[in-house]
Amino acid sequence: MKIKFYLLCISVLLSPLAAFAEENAPPEQTQNVQRIWRDTQNRAITATFRGVEDGNVFLQTKDGYVYRIPLDHLVPEDQKIARQLKPEGLGIPADPNVAQAAARIDEVVAYGLKAKGVTPNALASDEQFCRRVYLDLVGRIPTREETMTFLADTSSSKRAKVIDKLINSDGFNARMFNYFSDMLRMADDAQKAKFFTYEEWFKSQIWQNRPYDKIVYDLMTANGKLIENGASGYLLRDKGMRLDNLSVTLSTFLGANVACAQCHDHPFADWTQRQFYEMAAFFGTTETYDKQNSKKMLIGLRKELTEEELKRVKKLVQVNALEVHATGYNEVKLPDDYKYKDGKPGNSVPLKLIKWEPATDVQKLPLHDPAAMQKLQASRDQLYKTVEASLNKKGGAENPRDIFAKWMTSPSNPRFAMTIANRMWKMVFGIAVKEPVTDLDSASDANNPMLLGHLANEMVRLKFDLRAFMRLLCNTQTYQREAITKQVVAGEPYYFPGPTLRRMTAEQAWDSCVTLAIGEKVDNYKLLRAGQYTAIMDLKGKITASEVRAKLDGMKGAMAKFGGKNKPGKNANMRKMKDSDGDDVDHTKPDVLQGQVLARASELPQPEKDQHFLRMFGQSDRQISDAGSDEGSIPQVLMLMNGETQSVLRNPKSLVLATANKQTGVEKQIESLYISFFTRHPRAEEMKDAKDALASGMTLADLTWVLFNSREFMFVQ
Amino acid sequence: MKSPFLRLDPLSRRSFVEQVAKASFGVSLLPFALKAGETDKLNGDVHKLPGFGKAKNVIWLQMIGGMSHIDTFDPKTGDTKGSSSSVKSKGGFELSGYLPKLATQGDKITLIRSMTSKTGVHAAGQYVIRTAFEQRGTISHPVLGAWAQKILGPSHKTLPSSVCINRNPDHGNGFFSAAYSPLPLHDPDAGLQYARGDASAELLQKRLALLNKMDASFRDKFQDVNLKSYTEFYDDTLKLLTTSDLKAFKLDDEPSVERSKYGQNKFGQGCMLARRLIEHGVRFVEVAYGGWDMHNDIDNAMDDKGTVLDTAVSALIQDLEAKGLLSSTLIVVCSEFGRTPKINGRGGRDHYPKVFSTMLAGGGVKGGYVHGSSDKEGKEVADKVTTIQDFHSTVGHAMGMDVDQVVMSNSGRPFTVGDKGKVVTDVFA
Repeated sequence: MKIKFYLLCISVLLSPLAAFAEENAPPEQTQNVQRIWRDTQNRAITATFRGVEDGNVFLQTKDGYVYRIPLDHLVPEDQKIARQLKPEGLGIPADPNVAQAAARIDEVVAYGLKAKGVTPNALASDEQFCRRVYLDLVGRIPTREETMTFLADTSSSKRAKVIDKLINSDGFNARMFNYFSDMLRMADDAQKAKFFTYEEWFKSQIWQNRPYDKIVYDLMTANGKLIENGASGYLLRDKGMRLDNLSVTLSTFLGANVACAQCHDHPFADWTQRQFYEMAAFFGTTETYDKQNSKKMLIGLRKELTEEELKRVKKLVQVNALEVHATGYNEVKLPDDYKYKDGKPGNSVPLKLIKWEPATDVQKLPLHDPAAMQKLQASRDQLYKTVEASLNKKGGAENPRDIFAKWMTSPSNPRFAMTIANRMWKMVFGIAVKEPVTDLDSASDANNPMLLGHLANEMVRLKFDLRAFMRLLCNTQTYQREAITKQVVAGEPYYFPGPTLRRMTAEQAWDSCVTLAIGEKVDNYKLLRAGQYTAIMDLKGKITASEVRAKLDGMKGAMAKFGGKNKPGKNANMRKMKDSDGDDVDHTKPDVLQGQVLARASELPQPEKDQHFLRMFGQSDRQISDAGSDEGSIPQVLMLMNGETQSVLRNPKSLVLATANKQTGVEKQIESLYISFFTRHPRAEEMKDAKDALASGMTLADLTWVLFNSREFMFVQ
Repeated sequence: MKSPFLRLDPLSRRSFVEQVAKASFGVSLLPFALKAGETDKLNGDVHKLPGFGKAKNVIWLQMIGGMSHIDTFDPKTGDTKGSSSSVKSKGGFELSGYLPKLATQGDKITLIRSMTSKTGVHAAGQYVIRTAFEQRGTISHPVLGAWAQKILGPSHKTLPSSVCINRNPDHGNGFFSAAYSPLPLHDPDAGLQYARGDASAELLQKRLALLNKMDASFRDKFQDVNLKSYTEFYDDTLKLLTTSDLKAFKLDDEPSVERSKYGQNKFGQGCMLARRLIEHGVRFVEVAYGGWDMHNDIDNAMDDKGTVLDTAVSALIQDLEAKGLLSSTLIVVCSEFGRTPKINGRGGRDHYPKVFSTMLAGGGVKGGYVHGSSDKEGKEVADKVTTIQDFHSTVGHAMGMDVDQVVMSNSGRPFTVGDKGKVVTDVFA
């Protein structure tokens, strides 16, 4: 913990925003406004009280920084006040720099709120905060024990501490994987191969907390076979369809809405079809299938193998031919139906990068200082100049794809940091600063353009460390406010008086159900398939018929294990697996109850089969980017009422019910279920209703059903 | 860059506003409002065109894997003939010998023998034949049932407007909300999945009463649209479970003699369930039937699949006619592409999108009519080329949708039913 000892300063540098925030402090904090604190040497500091812990008082100055001051250094009168004051909602931060950066975000939000005359929401209760932060950072509700520990903790630093604990836990990796596997359309089955290496490569990147720009750079520039280099999975996902792949790349990573321009000039944005092809030309020499090698592999085998064997060998060869490599020839040409005057069908076009109008450069807005703005503009100009120079370099054959990737993932790119910052914001606030996240072409139309620009600058400052960025967002007052209760109309601006009410994502809901069923064991099981798959499928050099036969034999058994294609009619939820007994500590096998595999969504097939809870609840089928859905439907409600998941939770072996059953007295039992499902104690009238229901013949299992089917469980406030 | 919204012309801007309004106010729709000016000029007479709105219901039979045109609706006599000889149908045209029962219904059938597509790969091909659009990584497109629910409104107050049998919905709602997704029925005999729980009716009532009470404060606290729509979905589901409409899903209520006419298999029973569903108020039912990817021994495979198809479709036509529903129900038989005229070394046929056939019956189409033709060998379109977009536009038109009406996706992209195909008015009586 980096806590600086205090520096007493009377004059605090005020940014114009800070001044604004002061005069508009929300009325509910009147007992805890900024005041002047004095120490025994008669030095003074103007600051807000954040709490007392271990004999220190924590005071936040106007610039957002939080100072730790030994309590007995204060004049006795101020010591008394410090002991009496209720700690301000956020409490004591873990890191004064984070607190300062968080306060800065709050200022920018407050500025937007004020401009529209919107009052911010009150700070969320510990119960609301606890449930929300677990769902946002580790993708599941807290266990009963986690909730009780948090609520019982009386220290003022508990919010910051729980954020740090969650950010650094396994659950954070699962949550991030679920987000990115939807964004990137990660599917086990694509191009007649299993994309296990891609999935596990990505998981390892998150696990290592590799900076986002580096991860994306690797995805764009990967070479080699799918089964040897998981990073190649991004380009191989769209084998032979480089235009489609580029269209997804531009909207996903840069928020450039150019999908239309793939086939015709964009009807109402500035992108032209020619521009699209100029961008595609960077990928013109990138090939995603190794035809030559696959042909070679089959030479000599045709005569020696039976037709049936040959068919299976072809599958093997196809998997091995999935490979990214450079050719010497640019294959991108204007399409046959090209109808504009600036080119002819079949012509190739020069490599050229898109630009956004300077007017939409919202990253300049929070800078204030003209010099800083100029510096930013200079870095933008320099980026394009560097690309120009790389392209014009004689004989310096740099792969155009690498040039593109450097430009795209550069901190100076006008859209790359902004896009991921906007996406991460949406992950925890439920709505992005600029919607949709795939279209930032007119970034200045964002609800709060300065906030969008500021978040992009913060992403750059934090060097694309997503863990640090999420930590920052969760430490803001804006995040820790109550969710909006008013209707948020799609398409209407939202200024973030607090987070929005959200239905859990499919993955959050499923992982929460697993948590209810098995508790903290939820993160024990890890799915590992890539190593085995690669060992089975990998073909190197020339092979003989007998070697191939041995390979095919090995394939048979192993592939059955990996599961076939998703066929309707079979009940996807019933697996031939024995229920695990309670003491199972084998981390190589998931828990199973009533035939349901109780593992995190990230450790199950990607995506799950259609009739699985995850899919019925909106998990993306991974055909379209960002396709996870939070919408209800009749089949979904039928599943919630009568499906396997409610049945598992009503099973006396499920942890939630077993724990409730163990409590003595009806009230304790009801309370146990409430804490497990809702992260809070039941209110008096709820207790009464539940007791009446139990008295009238209903069981705790029935109460489990009721809580599971309630909106309060499915929605995050 | 200016706001894309400002760049829209007034017409599409209005559609955009409508779209936003509909997305915001839940599932129910305003009645279809005609747009002033331009629309009248372009399509003022769309209602008077033949076939418009005649098909109140559609039963869409989707053959998965690429159904051979030569071995079904477009039999040949030369080298490419295959194993079966053709039979003369009651409609005057020839059908493959694998479809003798359907031949007796030829007077109620229209064939299109000049279909063509650019896609010879299964997944992408199925996407196009199901939606009329090319598959993209950035957006998904609705099936006709979802389009109709959007443009014409829901077809029933409790039953879903579209259902798919023996298949997954595969984001059939496209860029519309999940409420437009076809309801999947994976097993015709089992009916609606999860319709029954292990709780008695009395216990379920108790649970629901408690749920309603305990969740009230949360529901009242938030005015969130999605939260409200969840509550509506619970209400709709309970309505469905407690009204007689649930009967629509129960094949058990059909006499076994009638059931056997369709064939005792998932496809046959699926067709019968489709009839039951449209009878009760579902507008669009898709029944999928896989196994048409006949690269090997097509004769043997056609004996099997052809018989199932022949039995089910002929029974469906007769059943609908007997119930007086054929004139308002359009039956569609289609597949993602045809199969090569040349028989390969393994006695099979391979993928062939260049020319293939589809079948229509009922819902205002002509009987005993063949639209377009392939050449002598079944290799090329010889006459009246018909794209998948034309085909979808034709069915959409029959359902009463103006195929020129632009609907904006939430991402602000303009789309039309059938992706700008031309309505083939010749097929309508």
